[in-house]
Amino acid sequence: MIESRGRRDWEVPVTVAELVNGGPLAGARMWGTGENPVRQVRIVDDLATLGSVPPHTAVVLVGQAASGGWAVEMAMRRAWEQAAACVIASSAGMSAGSGAGLAERLGVTLIFVDEDPLVTAVRVASAAARPEAARTQLVARCATRLAEAGPSARRVLGVLNSELQGNAVALLDPWGSHLAGRRAQGPSLAEVDIPDASGGTLAILVAHGSFQSPGWPSVVNAVLALAVTPLIAWAAIERLAAERDVALQSALATRLLTLASSRTSPYGRIGDGGEGAVPQGAAQGTPPEADLEASGDGTLARAVALRWPVAGPLTAYAIRPHDADLDDLQMIGSVIAATVGPGPVLRREESWAGWSALPPERLAIRLAECLAALPMPCAAGVGAQVPDLGIMDESLLGAEAAAFVSPAGVVARADRMGPAKLLAALPGGVLRAPAQMILGPLLSVDRDGTLLETLTAVLDEGGASRAAERLGVHRNTVTTRLERIRAAGFDVDDPGTRLALHLAAHVLRSRPVG
Amino acid sequence: MSPTVEGTHPKIDSMSLDAFAAGSQLFATGAAELSFHLTLDWARSVLGDGVRVSRAADLPPQTICAAICLVGSSTALSERLPGGNEPVRVIRGLERRLGQKIGAVVALNLDAESALLPVITAALLGVPLVDGDGSGRVFPLIKQSSYTLGGVSATPLVMAGPADDVVVLDTAPDRVEELIRPLVLALGGWTVTACYPMTAEVLARVLVPGTVSRLMEAGVPGAPRSVAAPYGVRTLCRGRIVAVESSTGHGMDLTLPSLPSSIVVEEREGLGRLIRLEAHNEIVFALADGAMVAMAPDQICMISTVDGMVVDVDKVAPGLEVEVMVVRAAPVWHTEEGIALGGPRAFGVPL
Repeated sequence: MIESRGRRDWEVPVTVAELVNGGPLAGARMWGTGENPVRQVRIVDDLATLGSVPPHTAVVLVGQAASGGWAVEMAMRRAWEQAAACVIASSAGMSAGSGAGLAERLGVTLIFVDEDPLVTAVRVASAAARPEAARTQLVARCATRLAEAGPSARRVLGVLNSELQGNAVALLDPWGSHLAGRRAQGPSLAEVDIPDASGGTLAILVAHGSFQSPGWPSVVNAVLALAVTPLIAWAAIERLAAERDVALQSALATRLLTLASSRTSPYGRIGDGGEGAVPQGAAQGTPPEADLEASGDGTLARAVALRWPVAGPLTAYAIRPHDADLDDLQMIGSVIAATVGPGPVLRREESWAGWSALPPERLAIRLAECLAALPMPCAAGVGAQVPDLGIMDESLLGAEAAAFVSPAGVVARADRMGPAKLLAALPGGVLRAPAQMILGPLLSVDRDGTLLETLTAVLDEGGASRAAERLGVHRNTVTTRLERIRAAGFDVDDPGTRLALHLAAHVLRSRPVG
Repeated sequence: MSPTVEGTHPKIDSMSLDAFAAGSQLFATGAAELSFHLTLDWARSVLGDGVRVSRAADLPPQTICAAICLVGSSTALSERLPGGNEPVRVIRGLERRLGQKIGAVVALNLDAESALLPVITAALLGVPLVDGDGSGRVFPLIKQSSYTLGGVSATPLVMAGPADDVVVLDTAPDRVEELIRPLVLALGGWTVTACYPMTAEVLARVLVPGTVSRLMEAGVPGAPRSVAAPYGVRTLCRGRIVAVESSTGHGMDLTLPSLPSSIVVEEREGLGRLIRLEAHNEIVFALADGAMVAMAPDQICMISTVDGMVVDVDKVAPGLEVEVMVVRAAPVWHTEEGIALGGPRAFGVPL
């Protein structure tokens, strides 16, 4: 992942902030920006020797020069005059006091270390002399810790955030929603894609924070790149586990929907546990673990790992088997997953359901393929497209209703469904016999079916004139036929029998299906 | 009220005593102290016709002069009242040791009680007070004087306490401080001390001249404060004390009466600098944003903007509005020897 250009960046001198945030001064207290590069180290015992310190020197105070707050202040002043990189002193017996104020006033970075300043001096000197080695050391340490962390998004993000102090690393889904890690705002320092099996983007690892040195972004990039493999492994393991276990998928999807609908804010803010975003450059914040807990138990992260669409316009679908004896859940789930594409496959009452990022038209085509591939007669319904998971329930209900009224082998679309579809859903085979019995007197006089056709047309169109138009006959012809129908005992104007008559005519006119 | 003038020399009488006392407060602490008022009352009660103030050069050259000062705690002075004859006993003690009559007294420094005790002594003995002192400002140690710089020994030194004791100290000058600290405690917490016996001829060469008459002028109501600073005075900053901390890194091995402390003043005007005053008995040096802007032997003092009084470094508190002033020391203090005796290294600061 590290390009040759990146490597060259590693050779630029380390900055003070880099030493404190990811290097030999980790854990030290720092006042000031720390933006100056460190080229060498000078141990100062006598303040007078500060006059000969070259620019970009890390001044380490010992002995007399560190004997009191006043001595540190004098050293800071002289360091400022010499354009030194920073002043480092032991924290023992030292109160930040006006030293912190002076650091701000003069723009000189002041660092208090807990260990022996002489030991610090040696470590800083080594980092200043060989910046590439210092950065490589950080990357190597991260590699070791990532290997120990194993394929867990939570632990991987924990390692990244503890090693890259002063930066906030987060795992985002491709739509920018926060999945794990520490949130931050502003322009990102480095971004690394976590690819999915098909070469698309499963998630994005993003680091925010201060631009600590020209070399820092490429170091961060290298560290993030180290996390790609464990994160891919984590996603793959999650997917395998879930695909093996339909119940687990259903539970996860239910939790996801509950989580999404319980938020009043738009879905994009899911997992926003209430705490503010980590400000840029803040080294200490909520521990990454707590952050993950806040994002609904990592539900969202797991959904993304499964390549489930969790944002953007989404469309629900339902597949309803016409025979109740369908216990081969595993097989149905697999067929749906294979034909519909990435998304959850859930058991809902009598049907199977799920959602997809595909628009309704394309989803309907996929579902038709799915129905053809399934070994038993099933009907499918497509819900209306919704903008986010928060109102996915609406789309799911629509899809289920559509699947319910749809005959086997047919994909019904809730957004296109009208009253006619309800009629189409009538169990024609069952009603045919009663319909024939009801209309028996009429059928016995209707040799060529013109009377049934006329009756249906009048009832469908709501009047003789329009029925004549539909049948292509004169209005008087329709009136005459209605007289014969009435003579057979059927009054189309009687509200009490009109619906039953209409249904019977409809059942007998439609062809048997299934 | 202006000081009484006899010929070219002023005289401290009941009229001019107040001006002299006020003048002694302009760059020194202690005006509000009970002990100062007590000493002032003592001076008033013994002044009689007044004390003649004489230039050293105007005295017969062989006149023996002694420096008079208060050694010990001024609080102790207000708690254990003087018997009234301490100045006489101390002078008689020194005369017995020297076998010579003391013909004039001079101040070691002109800080509060130490300015008034020579006046009381001169009044009680009927001898003139020499116009000048051994410092031109105040230092905490007896050896820190222009007399030492001029090669005069502080010993023999005589101390008289409130309990009728007289102690004659015959020792090498660098042993003085070590010996008198425990002695002062045993003598009752404070003593009138006579030291640096020398002839008027020598005194004329080693004293910081004219300081008594200066303070008499400066203490007249309406006179500018700068009159009390013959070698110059400047304002370092006006601001608010934001922190008072104990300090480290200097003077821990010295036997000075108080502990090192650090006072941070935030400048009100201009650059809004952070002024750090490092104090050890007195303010030894001042940093502005870490840069050295003033140091001993020049005298650095904080003057309260509320009442115009000098603020004692041991009684300072955050929130106080002060003007930090630097009084330039007499030229003798700016010599190599003077800086060694009264500069920051004398206070244990390795600068």
